[in-house]
Amino acid sequence: MALKTSSPRKGGISRANGPEGLDSIPLRYGDDPYVWACWLYYEDGMTQGEIAEAMGVSRATVNSYLADAREKGIVNISIEPARLASLTIAQELKRHFGLADCLVVPNDDNTRPLIGRLGAAGAQALSKMIKSGDTLAVAWGRTVLSVGEHLDMAPLQDVTVVQATGGTTASFAYTPELTTAAVARAISARCVNITAPAIVASAQMHDMLLAEPLIREQFDTLSRANRIVFGISSLRPNSTIHTSGFFESVPLQHYLAKGAAGVLAGRFIDERGRHIAGPLDDRTIGISLEMLRGIGTRVAVAGGFDKVPALLAALRGGYVNVLVTDAATGAGILRADGVTSLDGKLSQRQKSTPVANAYRTHVKKFLNNPNDVVEEMLDGLIAAHKPYLQPIGNSRRALVARNGPRPGKVGLVIGGGTGHEPCFVGYVGKGLADAVAIGNIFSSPPPDPIAKCAVAASGGAGVLFVYGNYAGDVMNFEMAAELVEEQGIPIRTVLTTDDIVSSPVEDKEGRRGVAGNFFVFKVAGAACDRGMTLDECEAVTRKANDRTYTVGVALESCSMPQTRRHNFEIGPDDMELGMGIHGEPGVSRERIRTADEIVDTIMDNIFKEMKAEPGDRVAVLVNSFGATPLMELYILFRRVEQRLSAKNITIEANWVGHYCTSLDMVGASISILHLDRQLTDLLHHPCQTAILSINAPETDGAARG
Amino acid sequence: MSETATRVLARMFERMSEVIETEKDHLSELDGAIGDGDHGITMSIGFKAVNAALSTLDLDTASPSDVLSTAASGFLNAVGASTGPLYATGFRRAAQALADRDQLDLAACRDMLGAISEGIRDRGKAQRGDKTMLDVWLPAAEAATAGVASNLSKPDFWKAVENAAENGAAATATMIATKGRAARLRERSLGHADPGAVSAAALIKAIAGASCTQAE
Repeated sequence: MALKTSSPRKGGISRANGPEGLDSIPLRYGDDPYVWACWLYYEDGMTQGEIAEAMGVSRATVNSYLADAREKGIVNISIEPARLASLTIAQELKRHFGLADCLVVPNDDNTRPLIGRLGAAGAQALSKMIKSGDTLAVAWGRTVLSVGEHLDMAPLQDVTVVQATGGTTASFAYTPELTTAAVARAISARCVNITAPAIVASAQMHDMLLAEPLIREQFDTLSRANRIVFGISSLRPNSTIHTSGFFESVPLQHYLAKGAAGVLAGRFIDERGRHIAGPLDDRTIGISLEMLRGIGTRVAVAGGFDKVPALLAALRGGYVNVLVTDAATGAGILRADGVTSLDGKLSQRQKSTPVANAYRTHVKKFLNNPNDVVEEMLDGLIAAHKPYLQPIGNSRRALVARNGPRPGKVGLVIGGGTGHEPCFVGYVGKGLADAVAIGNIFSSPPPDPIAKCAVAASGGAGVLFVYGNYAGDVMNFEMAAELVEEQGIPIRTVLTTDDIVSSPVEDKEGRRGVAGNFFVFKVAGAACDRGMTLDECEAVTRKANDRTYTVGVALESCSMPQTRRHNFEIGPDDMELGMGIHGEPGVSRERIRTADEIVDTIMDNIFKEMKAEPGDRVAVLVNSFGATPLMELYILFRRVEQRLSAKNITIEANWVGHYCTSLDMVGASISILHLDRQLTDLLHHPCQTAILSINAPETDGAARG
Repeated sequence: MSETATRVLARMFERMSEVIETEKDHLSELDGAIGDGDHGITMSIGFKAVNAALSTLDLDTASPSDVLSTAASGFLNAVGASTGPLYATGFRRAAQALADRDQLDLAACRDMLGAISEGIRDRGKAQRGDKTMLDVWLPAAEAATAGVASNLSKPDFWKAVENAAENGAAATATMIATKGRAARLRERSLGHADPGAVSAAALIKAIAGASCTQAE
């Protein structure tokens, strides 16, 4: 027999096409008839009948091979994930809120502005719905104007587009008049404006205007609307509600106090979508919420995280029956309304049974009383590191370096929660930090021990606070600074913000401080020990922080001694990129990849921000989050070194090990300090601490005490 | 003579401590979803320390304001974290607000709730809608103000305050965090109530309970 296709792969099939059938599966398929059948079907494009002949089995057998192969996961049919996600979200929104239709635009890396994408999608939705003879009401707003700008459809007959509210000042581009006109123009419809202000000075004026025959006629048109398109505004500080000047701020406060969650067509609703009565009611000229709800097709076009509560309120209130939004907002709305089925549907993963934790619910730890872990750790730590540090007075939550503070030297105080050992206490000693304040697990120390540290560290030249940028630490250190400054000790603060994936570059100040602390502390300690002034110490520490870049990846969650349970779960095949040192869930969860690929992702992120030239020098820290062994850290370091040397960047010094951990988390972070002459000099400055000792100016980098 | 305001306040803190002990695991679980999983533990340590500090006070001579400022220092010295400065500042403001009062009538309770929420707002620099404990304290304080203005009976007053607090806590599930560790999650924080808001609602419920059983 002859086969229709002529792929070079056919050779094997022809040979196998003998009477012996399955006994002679071509070698490359192993012994697996499923793979063989699938290959012929999906790769060679043969019909089931042809395959049956090729394999020497019945067509029914081929059919069941193909079906079983999908069950067994030999064949996976996948739709491009972003598109699939938006379809899934649209379907869930439709189901959950009983919508007539829902269009969700995929998240495309935010390369195009959201308003434009929503406008295009809204235009697409409208063009499918509007029919000749319709009356379409249009509410004002940025997104709706964008819909009008994108609308492009074949001319219809007898369509009327009517403005849903009165007019506003023309100080912005998306006034009710312009928005309505844009939509009308796009579909060549008759345009009816409401020729009265949206908000008038008094209820009396409102009634008078509505009694005017012209305006009454315009409202008659509005009352005939069988479709409406509108945006939804949140009441968050930079929403259009505030920036448009549409509402005066005083009544806005009134609505906020009454729990306003959103605004549609100039009317306020609470989180359940109920109308909120207020001073503007009698002064607003435009469609009422009751009228709106009576319209057959009610298309809402809105997106952006800040609008989730407002959109949810509008959906709950039944104001929307066609929703156009974006995937992230859509998913947000569903989550906010307690729909949990979505995550499972989105992850598109094989159903696997969770065996791992079936027989074990607690993580094993060396413990006496779980409530005493911090105290008992401090007992051991103070005894172990006696040569470097001692308690201040009788407080073990405030430790001072022996031979650290001295008159005329700027004092360096560091600190933070426990659970990060050797951070922060391992970096106290001569040439590095003068004192450390110690909090509970993952919790900032209170102001009192911080203030004690500052007083102990003070040598009359001021004190520098260096700590990670976390809300709790900032509040406690600020309160301590206030206390100490009252005693005449000047305080300067540098917050470490080295975790570059924790916030975008525009919000650098909002980033958190993680393992890169190590470099910032080292530079600050050296600057203080050199006798630099408080100003100079602060400046160079700030520079070190600005030039330190860290990205972390977690493979398994950490567990608190008190609970001995994982703080959260990372799936069996997943990793969490951008995880901080407190086990806060990271920025994105992805499938785990090879060590080299993970390092490449991290280094690509770092190179994106670090403007390093060939010949530049860096210091490298490959840090374990607690449970990842040195063996794996060296594998990571290997790739870091390859990537740096490919760019002709020299590693001036490196450290590989446990430098800033997160209890027993499995994972690691990579920190790069982009050196200049001054930073290199300070990095090599001698210091003696429990974890880091540098003895002479020319250490070989891999110095670990 | 009715029970002294000092004793009622001390009992409020006792009730708060009890409710936190009961809710401890639940709060940590909530925090595990969007934070670092220690909120229950932190609150428990804090309120145990408050009780320890209050036990050193002589309730026969101490003023209501003494109770609040002792609670503030006790809480702050024990926990730090972010709840420490926030509640310590709140309680300190409340101590100032009650400085001239020796009665814990509804007007005094209104002032106390108002001062706590203002203290928390000023220290944390958050605003309503940021998915924090303020989304509970502010509406509760507003409900208290409205309750006094409309002459509500004591049970109705506390009912209104509790409702406002509970609604506020529930509403945080629909918000996106902009403060604290959860802020880094952006939209992933949706659907999860804020643990700080949930514990705040529990505290307000405890305060209400203690006030309603006040001997007249």
